[in-house]
Amino acid sequence: MESKEIIDAFVKHYLEEGKAPNSIYSFSKSLGIEESEFYNHFNDFDQISSHVWTGLFEQVKDQLMSDSEYDKFSSRDKVLSFYFAYFELMKSYRSYFLVSVPHHGVEAIKGSAFAGLGEHFKKWIKEVLDQGVADAEISSRSKLNNTYDELFWYQFRFLLEFWRKDKSVAFEKTDAAIEKSVNLSFDLIEKNALDSALDFGKFMFQNS
Amino acid sequence: MKEQESIPTGKFERAGSFIGTTAKVSGNYIKHYSKRLVGAESTKRQLQEDNAEDIYSTLSKLKGSALKVAQMMSLDQGILPEAYSKKFSQAQYSAPPLSYPLVVKTFRSSLKHSPKELFDSFESSAFAAASIGQVHLATKDGNKLAVKIQYPGIANSISSDLKIVKPLVATLFNINYKEMEHYLVEVEERLIEETDYNLELKRSKEITEACAHIKGLVFPKYYPEYSADKILTMDWMDGKHLNEFMQTNPSQELRNKLGQLMWDFYDFQIHKMLQVHADPHPGNFLFQENGDLGILDFGCVKQFEREFYTNYFQLMKPAIDQDKEEFTKLLFDLDFLLNADSQEEVDHFTVIYADVLKLLGKPFMSDEFDFADDAYFKEIYGFSDLYSNDKLLKKAKAARGPRDAIYLNRTYFGLYSLLNQLGAKIKTNSYVNT
Repeated sequence: MESKEIIDAFVKHYLEEGKAPNSIYSFSKSLGIEESEFYNHFNDFDQISSHVWTGLFEQVKDQLMSDSEYDKFSSRDKVLSFYFAYFELMKSYRSYFLVSVPHHGVEAIKGSAFAGLGEHFKKWIKEVLDQGVADAEISSRSKLNNTYDELFWYQFRFLLEFWRKDKSVAFEKTDAAIEKSVNLSFDLIEKNALDSALDFGKFMFQNS
Repeated sequence: MKEQESIPTGKFERAGSFIGTTAKVSGNYIKHYSKRLVGAESTKRQLQEDNAEDIYSTLSKLKGSALKVAQMMSLDQGILPEAYSKKFSQAQYSAPPLSYPLVVKTFRSSLKHSPKELFDSFESSAFAAASIGQVHLATKDGNKLAVKIQYPGIANSISSDLKIVKPLVATLFNINYKEMEHYLVEVEERLIEETDYNLELKRSKEITEACAHIKGLVFPKYYPEYSADKILTMDWMDGKHLNEFMQTNPSQELRNKLGQLMWDFYDFQIHKMLQVHADPHPGNFLFQENGDLGILDFGCVKQFEREFYTNYFQLMKPAIDQDKEEFTKLLFDLDFLLNADSQEEVDHFTVIYADVLKLLGKPFMSDEFDFADDAYFKEIYGFSDLYSNDKLLKKAKAARGPRDAIYLNRTYFGLYSLLNQLGAKIKTNSYVNT
């Protein structure tokens, strides 16, 4: 049996039963495999969930990369495009998201099921932001830049949580939330008054 | 285009910026009256400009319907002091732009393809912003196209936007609250229609086809295959906006010709189609050097019933107020006079309406009318000042006049003021007399 079949069966079980299978034993049985074979693929249910989320992320990333325009985009537009494509795809997984993440709040989107997604996302956003620094789009603030991936990961989870609660037609409010929050973060990390203030502060410190 | 740093989103936040304005405007009044008390020079005009400044800076922070209402105010010059209108007309092109990725998303979700896939070229930054969307330039098969894209969520924010605007407008512009409500019900209906690009596409085709016989009018071709709920694609049109056109010092003959086209366009729609392009603001007209007039944007179209039409234009007949009985009956039929009115009110309002109609109908009364005549417009402003301070009108507890007349009056005010700016002499012997 392929890992993919196990993942699909697991998601289907969630969608139809509204909860995780009772045990790995009963789930394996329903798949027609030995419990021991299950462990050749996964250790527990959270690992399957983790595969679902990272898989979707990679799918969106591949879709973006295959777009000939993507390379020419500014970092800001890359991040915006990512979110619009991601939440478009997530429409097909909304039910799974709602039942498998029953607890509300940004902190609920953490835990082992989302650890893999976090790793993949942070790796990607770092590349995007580094490119932005190289293109002089984003201000280089030495050590501060290293904290950006965590901040963007927080924003990602904030948007997921916003989308969970969004009751507007076609999730239009989520679109607006994406535009506004991404614009805000890029306005903050681009070269702006803060850089001049830091520069001036440093000057005064050294010359007083 | 300058991007706004932040857009007030929640109802609460938006209300906040309005409350700020109301307080500021009250301050201006206090300033005005205290200056008067100590005998300093503070003209009424200065007060109006101070107010307009503050209201403008508040409204310009908003987008969507609030901006649209500001835009309308700039047109309803007959009701509003000159100082307000001048300031508001500047709000017409400023709204925060949509990011290119969101434009792509909008295309993908309604037309299944990205704009670069659909068109031969597509400019990723917007060419112009309007109150409910923005315009991008594109090309296809050698044709230059204008692609209008609507901001997400605009349709849903209209009601809440107008609820906030209502008390502000009623107090600031010194309009009876009931009257304002009456006005905004109609405005809301039109605004909601305006967010429906499918409807706009249908009406554009209908009206442009019906008006095709008026020589000299040019309309863009619309492309249904590249249009959807929130996307409208049409041919790009060349030409100058009114103020740019006037800077080229056009001859009187050319101005008359273009003005006449504008007049004939409206005349035909109103009298023959019983529906009208009800958004005559300068951005919707393109003046071409060869004397052709380009007309854009059929988002706001007012349709009316034959009965209303007949009564309304009955009022515009010369010397209609001479036949007192007939005149009063018409005023009752059109709800300008109400059954609950006292005899004193009926007498008082009948005189006012006779004066208003004589003034506003003046261009219809002769074969030719010179809209360059500033004295006529001064008279209108002067009269509306008088009218807005009328004690009985202010006391009135109900709205007057038919709801259908709101957009028709607006259209005429807009048309008059455009023709005034154009300085055109027009043959006005219209379909009314035929």
